[in-house]
Amino acid sequence: MARPTTGALSLLFRFALEGLAGQRGRSLLTMLGMAIGTASVVAVVSIGLLGRAYVVGLIEGVGANLVFAYGTGDGINPEEVSFEDVEIMRARVPGVVEIAPVLSGSDAVSIDGEPEALSVLGVTPSYPRVRNLVLVHGRFFSDREESASEKVCLLSRELSERLYGRRAPPSDASLRIFGVRFQVIGVFREAVESAAAVQKSEAAGLTAIVPFSAFRNLYPVRFVDVVYFQADSQEAVPGVVESVEEILRTRHRALSSFKVESLESYLVLAQRISDAVTLGLIAIAAVSLLVGGIGIMNIMLVTVTERTRDIGIRLALGAGRSDILLQFLLEAGMLSLAGGVIGVVIGAGLPWYLGVLYGVEVPVSAVSAAVAFSVSVAVGLFFGLYPARKAAAMNIVDALGYE
Amino acid sequence: MLAPRSEVAPSAATTIRLEGVQKTYRRNGVPVAALRGLDLEVGSGEFVAIMGRSGSGKSTLLHILGLIDAEYEGRYELDGQLVSGQVADALAPLRNRMIGFVFQTFHLLPQLSILDNAALPALYARDRDALRCRADARRRLEEMGLGDRLEHRPNQLSIGQRQRAAIARALVNDPRLLLADEPTGALDSRTAQEILGLLAELHARGATIVMVTHDPEVAAAAGRVVLIRDGQAHDRRA
Repeated sequence: MARPTTGALSLLFRFALEGLAGQRGRSLLTMLGMAIGTASVVAVVSIGLLGRAYVVGLIEGVGANLVFAYGTGDGINPEEVSFEDVEIMRARVPGVVEIAPVLSGSDAVSIDGEPEALSVLGVTPSYPRVRNLVLVHGRFFSDREESASEKVCLLSRELSERLYGRRAPPSDASLRIFGVRFQVIGVFREAVESAAAVQKSEAAGLTAIVPFSAFRNLYPVRFVDVVYFQADSQEAVPGVVESVEEILRTRHRALSSFKVESLESYLVLAQRISDAVTLGLIAIAAVSLLVGGIGIMNIMLVTVTERTRDIGIRLALGAGRSDILLQFLLEAGMLSLAGGVIGVVIGAGLPWYLGVLYGVEVPVSAVSAAVAFSVSVAVGLFFGLYPARKAAAMNIVDALGYE
Repeated sequence: MLAPRSEVAPSAATTIRLEGVQKTYRRNGVPVAALRGLDLEVGSGEFVAIMGRSGSGKSTLLHILGLIDAEYEGRYELDGQLVSGQVADALAPLRNRMIGFVFQTFHLLPQLSILDNAALPALYARDRDALRCRADARRRLEEMGLGDRLEHRPNQLSIGQRQRAAIARALVNDPRLLLADEPTGALDSRTAQEILGLLAELHARGATIVMVTHDPEVAAAAGRVVLIRDGQAHDRRA
């Protein structure tokens, strides 16, 4: 005399809801436990993603798909990148959007009557694009100014502030570099300014940048300080590195005195570290999810014991053991489900709200929310299984006599 | 042992047939024989009172008849169907459709209205939608004179009304067998008479009733009295 199973679930849902409604306060507190567990997992992933985005932003802010080559001056035969090297690289390295050789020199600048060391860079008009420089005031120099070796310069924001304060430099401002007057046409800053990024950058500090050609005309340089390449995609980066290394190897005696680097290795490292940290945090947050699950088991065990007579009556009236099992499993499942929903709302909503409040873009991972939510439901069902089985396995005669 | 037969189809003449039923408990590790090869036959439409001293095994017998105790030896046929030796899971639907229970302490669920209580067996049967279940429950409750109390919780009713609600619940799936375990044990004598009158009326309308009681006056309401002694059934015509 098998019974149809259609409609069974909705019926047992109703019974489970009735059961939960009969103990509202207790149900809410148990839900809260699950909500906190779920919320902490979601929030921790957000924190991890935020940290990762910050670090990756720092590195990528130096320039997207950046490759750079420079001589180290080390080794038995210290060598540097020559102007011919740059021309050959410009002609032969594939997959490159922009190439920006940089000349480096130093001068002194008088600030408030005191001489201070000034770093001078001779760059091509491609340089600001390759290096992600941001204009604070004025403009960059043009291709025409480059080819005409115009005496124009841009100041780093730090230099500009030391010379002119927070205002833009006056339109007739000029700076004496290598004994020649250069007209100040703009102020720049790096896209990402942080202690970590600034230390690696030649464009930080008291710096002026001038056209490459003008620099060469005025300052006796025999080699290029560093050459930047912007690859057309992330996938093209290794090819660019290889091709630049190949050119340096064939044209110089010792490759060992050159370094060809990309940000790839830094990026991978930073991502790995932030992933490991996030994983550790998730493990800690998962403990609270586990504790929430044990809370559900605890409460369900109390509930099953309290409702022994109720269960006995239902069984005597013809409820199947599977009906009882499912009813209590549904109760546990609904507790964790509701807890999971509340947890996701808090765990995702709070970072989002704080982000809006402070104008920061806080990444909320939909995947982590979905995973945390399903894990919390699974945890609830898992920990609800034991009490539910206990309920279903009850001896009817004993349960009916239970007071 | 001829049972009086009422207006029931001959094919279902015998509702209960027990043969050599043995049940042994373990109490603190010591086996205690409750039933020792009990034979019992109850015809369709009979109203049987089962009597016996406390501990004689009459409750055990009722649990076996009601399919809520499946651990015994011997043969049990219910309405022509062999139900002994079945796994517990298979008994749930049988219990649901063929047995109606009336308990001494009513066993109504306190958190539900009597309408929802009475609808429970119908809902667990899952052969009707929820609306039909409630309609059937309402009809049974109205028959029991509780038509104006449908949405009351058990504790809002008198004990007599509670037992009537429990009887309505027992009847909602039109069972083949109504089992009553000391149905008047918790009632005052006036209410007890009222409930016995109800059972007698159900019997007159063709219901098969087996009632356990220790009270001879209550047993007198039944057409036949079976005495359980030394784990066996002895017929004692009332």
